[in-house]
Amino acid sequence: MKINSKLELKYQKKDSDTHTPHHLHKNPKIKYNKKAESEFFVDNSALAGFTGERILYMAIRELIENSLDSCEVHHILPKISVSIKQTDIENDLWTLSCQDNGIGINSEKVPVAVCSFLTSGKYVEKQQRGLFGVGLKMIAAFSTKDTDKPIKVWSKSIDEDSEYYYELRTDITTNKPIVLNKKIVPKMENIIKDKHGFKIVATLRARLSPITKNKIYDYISQTSIVNPYSNLIFENDDGKIIFERRTDIMPDPAKEVLPHPADMDLQTLKKAILNFSNQKVSIQTILSSSFQKLSIEKAREIIRASDIGNKLANLFSESDLIKVVNVCKLMKFQSPHIDHLSPIGEKILTTGMMSEYVIIHNKDQQLKSGNPREEANNENVRVLKPALTSYSSRSIVINNRPTIIECGIAYGGDINSFKLYRFANKIPLLYDEGSDVAREVVSEVGINKMGITKKEAKEQFANDQNSKSDRAVELLPLHIFFHICSTKIPYKSAGKESIASEGEMKKYMKFCLSELYRKVSAQIRRDLKIKDDENRLKLYKYYIPLIVDAVSDSIKVDRTKLSELFVEIAEKHVKKEITPTQIIINDNNQINNKSKKMITVKENHSTTENKKTKINENESLKNFSKRKDFRRKKIEKLTIDDFNRR
Amino acid sequence: MSTKNKRHKEIIKKIQNIMKEISNDVLIGKKMPSLEISKVGYDNTFWSEKKKMLTLGEKKVIISPNSTKKIPTFSQYLVMANAIRKLVDEEMESTIRGMYYATLSTVGDEKNKEKFWRSQEDSDDAIKAVELITGIPREEFSVTSKPKGMISGPITLSVGGDIIDCNLGSRATSQLIPTNISDVEIVDVKADLVMVVEKDTVLNNIRKSGFIQKYNAILMTGSGEPDRATRMMVKTLNEEWKKPVVIFADADPWGLGIALRYKIGSESLSYDSDRLVAPNAKVLGMMFSDIYDYNIPEVARLSVTTEDINRANDMKKKPWLQGKQWQRELNLFLKKKEKCELDAFFKHGFKYLAEQYLPKKLREAGVI
Repeated sequence: MKINSKLELKYQKKDSDTHTPHHLHKNPKIKYNKKAESEFFVDNSALAGFTGERILYMAIRELIENSLDSCEVHHILPKISVSIKQTDIENDLWTLSCQDNGIGINSEKVPVAVCSFLTSGKYVEKQQRGLFGVGLKMIAAFSTKDTDKPIKVWSKSIDEDSEYYYELRTDITTNKPIVLNKKIVPKMENIIKDKHGFKIVATLRARLSPITKNKIYDYISQTSIVNPYSNLIFENDDGKIIFERRTDIMPDPAKEVLPHPADMDLQTLKKAILNFSNQKVSIQTILSSSFQKLSIEKAREIIRASDIGNKLANLFSESDLIKVVNVCKLMKFQSPHIDHLSPIGEKILTTGMMSEYVIIHNKDQQLKSGNPREEANNENVRVLKPALTSYSSRSIVINNRPTIIECGIAYGGDINSFKLYRFANKIPLLYDEGSDVAREVVSEVGINKMGITKKEAKEQFANDQNSKSDRAVELLPLHIFFHICSTKIPYKSAGKESIASEGEMKKYMKFCLSELYRKVSAQIRRDLKIKDDENRLKLYKYYIPLIVDAVSDSIKVDRTKLSELFVEIAEKHVKKEITPTQIIINDNNQINNKSKKMITVKENHSTTENKKTKINENESLKNFSKRKDFRRKKIEKLTIDDFNRR
Repeated sequence: MSTKNKRHKEIIKKIQNIMKEISNDVLIGKKMPSLEISKVGYDNTFWSEKKKMLTLGEKKVIISPNSTKKIPTFSQYLVMANAIRKLVDEEMESTIRGMYYATLSTVGDEKNKEKFWRSQEDSDDAIKAVELITGIPREEFSVTSKPKGMISGPITLSVGGDIIDCNLGSRATSQLIPTNISDVEIVDVKADLVMVVEKDTVLNNIRKSGFIQKYNAILMTGSGEPDRATRMMVKTLNEEWKKPVVIFADADPWGLGIALRYKIGSESLSYDSDRLVAPNAKVLGMMFSDIYDYNIPEVARLSVTTEDINRANDMKKKPWLQGKQWQRELNLFLKKKEKCELDAFFKHGFKYLAEQYLPKKLREAGVI
């Protein structure tokens, strides 16, 4: 390498000495070098999202995702604790640690799994958070590159009895792990208290801007929404936050499936044949046992249609195999399996939405205590309880890949502003919201589906925080959740932060959202009514004295009596219309209260709640027609305004 | 108190009756107070063949503080009505801006404090509403706007007792027509005819030419859309002082509209037509046919807008323009698509309008 670069330097000098144009050289030498995977990824860290500001965010993300995957694969309720602390302010050094109760990594495999790029147990056709075997390695490589600290790993694998301790670094030029230290931790000194688990401590050199810090908070709280079955502990220099487990129900783990024949290409076919290289089997058998939705009958049909004769599978030429691939591309197959996908599911997402955690920073507390080093916890979590949640989902096939769209909506209650949450394979997406398909869906589905007009939204829900937004939906106290799961999410960019619309995805996302809008419409209309009534009562309170003043100033009249009676009439006037709906509201609150206490029972309740919403929907229809009458009256009375305009 | 004029007492009584109605609704009827008033606007304005003017129909609307929007509006109307009662009671005079200031206040508690009026527009609207509720024009409340109508000629006015002679003889000035109608009285009129023109520029030209002295005429203008004071003055001169009134406006649908304001009234003030409209006034010009009869050169003609065309088509259907002559004029306009201002006669010389065109028109109409 070094010689090479010197040579190039010489070339350049020669150029500048003689002023010979480059292309006149007869033999411009191009050297072909092989680059180690590790070197490639360190040089192109942006491919994995490890860029400048985002390094710490990405590192935390990768660690948590690995831990969650490691738990879910064996249906273990995750217990993860993450910490990020600045250990050297002068050199921007941060120590990250992450411990879980997952299946751990076999002691033999630990060094490779931590350090060697593109080594992963996840190269199979099923939905997982991580896919490429890059994230953890990136942390190791960056740590090696920027610091002199080793990566410390404790692993207690599900298939081993002992806890192993490693100190590792990555040899970036060869993509090989360097084992500095390896030992079996004596039982008494075990770091991992569970039967199995994994802990990693790494030092990274990075800067943490306030924006990135907030993104880390967002990432963790959003992760807790889609993984309410996990226990998450996050610790940083500001304190410790605990996201408690809210349900014991876990989504079914994704199963590994065979590829779908419509997705076949030459490479997958050759691989399939290679798997059977030692056995003398027909190509039909290989096809039917290597691809899903492909019976032996169907395989015969394929071979017949591709017209390549009948011989031993390994004797076919590449051009024959291409014919097979082409036939498969045109042939009709059953829709692919969705077993390899693991959606969040209605119960779990509802639990997440019903108990959404938000992080609260107590800046004042720090000032009061005067000494931030004191064990004062400056952050805390608060649980948001919406008045109503709803869920809908669709399974669709996009480019032969099954995709599940899940959509949830949480309205009212403690929620006081609009927010769009985006998840892909249970990972929160935090950046590039503007270019995400979910954003488009939200702005394209009209809020009139909720039985509310833009004007009403503006009049009744606008407050100081959100009044700047010109999108009516963003004025509502509404949280919208979109979760897309697929083995291949159509990300817009390598950073994996926003999703492009592929095929009919957008259309079905709109269906889901419209359905949910309709479900919450009754509640929203009711809230509007109450808000309107409250406003009216307040207005009466403010304006009646003025009216009474004007009257009593002009004629002789009993002031107090007039005022009292007027207020009474006004209250009756407002109440007359709100009594029936108010009872329903109280009812709903009771359900919410119950669900707060008994999470497991709540699941049953949520269905009854849905029924109730349906009934209320009818009611809202009635209300709606009433409103029309009202509007008609309004038109009649407009004339005064007409007059005024002249 | 005894000096208070009778009309003032009537006004105060009317406002008090309204207040009484409201307190009765609450105290006796135990219901939301409401006020029934006549609906105003094009859909409650009708052409009266008998009176030859626009009159108000039978439609009524109810104002009541029964919705979020109407609670503030209702109280604004009442606060304004009370303020007007006070103004009349104290025999004071105020502009609409003055009324806005007189009634300024805030509503709500410490947390939600709002201005009672968002802007003067709100208070102007409330004044109009009180006019409607009481059926009394604002000039009689002594709520006035800036005068813009002008008058010149052998007429003597008494404004609150001060004598104003509008015939100053110098040909150089005109008098503004006072807007505080209740204070104005016509003392004497020595003129033979009243001529109303659309704009003050034209009036000035005619006055300067000595038209007043030559034809013993009163010249008036509303400077565009005439205010109530101007219209009332025209009506009084025409009907009480039996002076013939002729009107000249620009030869375009807009000008014709203004001329008709004096003669048949307007939709927005149809409830007060009886006091504002002079149906016997004659609209003599400028006719569309005059553009061609008096050879207005092409450079002085203006091309029409689609709005003009729409207006003319609209006018063609109006019952008060069904006369053969008007239909002919409007058809001519729609065919030629040209309009013209009275000022265009200056192209024929500065004295042409006053010394040639107007006398000829007046003679044709038999006014002189």
